[in-house]
Amino acid sequence: MAGSLAYFLPAAKLAWDATGQVVTIASPTPSPSSDTNNASPSPSAAARTPGSFTVLLLGSDDDSKFSSDHVLTQSMILVRVIPSTKQVVILSIPRDLYVPFWVGGSGKIDGAYSYGQAGGAIATVQQDFGVHIDEYIWIGLLGLIKLIDAIGGIDVVTSSPVVDDLYPQDVFSADPYGYERVAVLAGPQHLDGVHAMQYVRSRHNDLQSDIGRSKRQQQVLLAIRKKAKQVSSADVPAIATALGGEIKTSIGLDRVAQLIPLAATFDNPDSITTLVMEPPMFHGGGPDGSLTPNWSAILYLVRQYFP
Amino acid sequence: MIARFFLALGLCVLMLVSSVTTYVYLGGRQSKVAVRTEKPTVAAPRAKAFTLPGTLYLSQSGALYSLSIGRFHQLTPEDGWTQPYWNASGNNLLAVRRTPFYSDVYIIGRFGQVTRSLTANGPPPRSNDTTLMHWSFYPRLGPDNNTLWMSYDSPKFGYDVPFSIWSLPVGGSIRQGKLWTNANDYTGGDMQPIPLPTGGIMYTKYTYGPDGNLVGQLWLTTRPTPAGREGKPLTSTGEDCHQPSISPDGHQVAMICTYEKQISQLVLASWDGSNLGPRKAIITDQLVAQPTWAPDSSGIAYLAPGANDSPFQLWFLPKNAYAPPPPSPTPVPTPTPGGPYSGTLPTPTPAPPVAAPVVKPIQITTNNGFDATSPIAWAP
Repeated sequence: MAGSLAYFLPAAKLAWDATGQVVTIASPTPSPSSDTNNASPSPSAAARTPGSFTVLLLGSDDDSKFSSDHVLTQSMILVRVIPSTKQVVILSIPRDLYVPFWVGGSGKIDGAYSYGQAGGAIATVQQDFGVHIDEYIWIGLLGLIKLIDAIGGIDVVTSSPVVDDLYPQDVFSADPYGYERVAVLAGPQHLDGVHAMQYVRSRHNDLQSDIGRSKRQQQVLLAIRKKAKQVSSADVPAIATALGGEIKTSIGLDRVAQLIPLAATFDNPDSITTLVMEPPMFHGGGPDGSLTPNWSAILYLVRQYFP
Repeated sequence: MIARFFLALGLCVLMLVSSVTTYVYLGGRQSKVAVRTEKPTVAAPRAKAFTLPGTLYLSQSGALYSLSIGRFHQLTPEDGWTQPYWNASGNNLLAVRRTPFYSDVYIIGRFGQVTRSLTANGPPPRSNDTTLMHWSFYPRLGPDNNTLWMSYDSPKFGYDVPFSIWSLPVGGSIRQGKLWTNANDYTGGDMQPIPLPTGGIMYTKYTYGPDGNLVGQLWLTTRPTPAGREGKPLTSTGEDCHQPSISPDGHQVAMICTYEKQISQLVLASWDGSNLGPRKAIITDQLVAQPTWAPDSSGIAYLAPGANDSPFQLWFLPKNAYAPPPPSPTPVPTPTPGGPYSGTLPTPTPAPPVAAPVVKPIQITTNNGFDATSPIAWAP
């Protein structure tokens, strides 16, 4: 017992610090989108497939340009897991979508995290998309890099060369406002944390900008899931040490223990549905370069996959 | 009282031993994900190692290695070296040296010494403007052995930095170069040129398919740009193919097709110089990359993860796996010497069909981690 405790001390510390985060979610204010588009209210847990649950994944630029409580979420991904049918649905939400915030007012959805951190982001997504969110996981830039390195890198088929002359040099540089050049070549390859981050974060050389980036994020997410199946108890201390302070989740330790063996049973790639919102679900030209949502189209999709 | 003391002492010792044992046991468990790759030169050749003909050149962790007679040799330090190309006429290599901000093409001797730089893509003097630097990748020499072909990120259009195919005289500057392709906007551009004996090039063009996904497509072009004279696609967008490699006899193309998914298949097609024939997928269960024909046509080398999804290893697919020898002819009764036979000839019994042995790929290395974006060079 004592030996186990000593061995898993880093993991225990991470578990204490990062898991089981209490999220206070205020009652959502009436949503303009719901009013005008007959959005169904957030469905009750009883109406959903028994055992299914929905996780909101949040990825933030938490570099030194931002104070820790005012980071934006560059990546918002809804993941619905249905253990009984071993199906997973992954839906990326465009970060520039112009939505009503749960605290009132409107803005790009990537700013929702600034109004109550994870609770603010969850409340806004629940309010606007009519989805019940059971858990969340937040990870910062460095956290993603460290996570991928801690699991030994990932194998990805990068769909095209990602080239960027003005990639932000804000993770390991003393000058977070500087730029670096990035060229991630195309094809099957093994990516370490830094290069995986470059692949999912760059958006300058993509006609689809954030949509293209969302597709790349989903590729990397699936590659992490695949690699995570090989993680054993021997890896736990290293992963926990790597992620110290870089990850937060509402998922409690008991739930983590249930989910790890569950993840290993999701073997069939055809049972994973990846969705990216694309026009006509929104159109450009919104305030501050935001995307104006077509709520009826968005909610039709969301109701279909997140009942 | 004494018995209690010894009992407590015994329990303490037991606790200590079990704690230490548990800690050591857990600490000694082998991680499957954190296995460090070995340098190719460290791994001792296996006793029954399959020996490939000629010399192969590969990249791992920024160093170039040669593999000859079953033994690896490190040619360069781990300093950004990648994408070797064997120059048969010069008996040397072209290779790319990549820095964090730009890359250049070099000629290096077959033992790793740098002979000459063929490009100058670094920043101009007294400038750190990232937009003024360039990448060169996938160098090749043309049939005249005096023309360098490469993917080069020029022209640039602000945020849009696509690669285009360029040719330039060996030893010349980019100002003497010819722009051969017009890259599609915001796609990453055109990569992996293969100069053809007819004077054109086969290359990979990245483009948006009808479904809006970015895909690779093999293209053929016979003359430099201007726009509208770019040639024609050889594969469909749905096939999502790249990394072409032409067989030594020039009649087949090996390529990687991913069908817009997180898979990759090694696909062969016949090649008549202007069109690809029917496709034949020969590896479908591995994340395969960089197919390279053996110079003696004995098979195809490629990179793919090893067992347990370890990093990319060197594999070899013998020719019999994709071009099995024709079946031996059916025996026909031959006349018996000694004159014509007047009796009834026995009906020959057809021999039962012999199932062709399944030829499987051979994993050549086990603990390495080769760069899967770097083509393999193979010298005779």
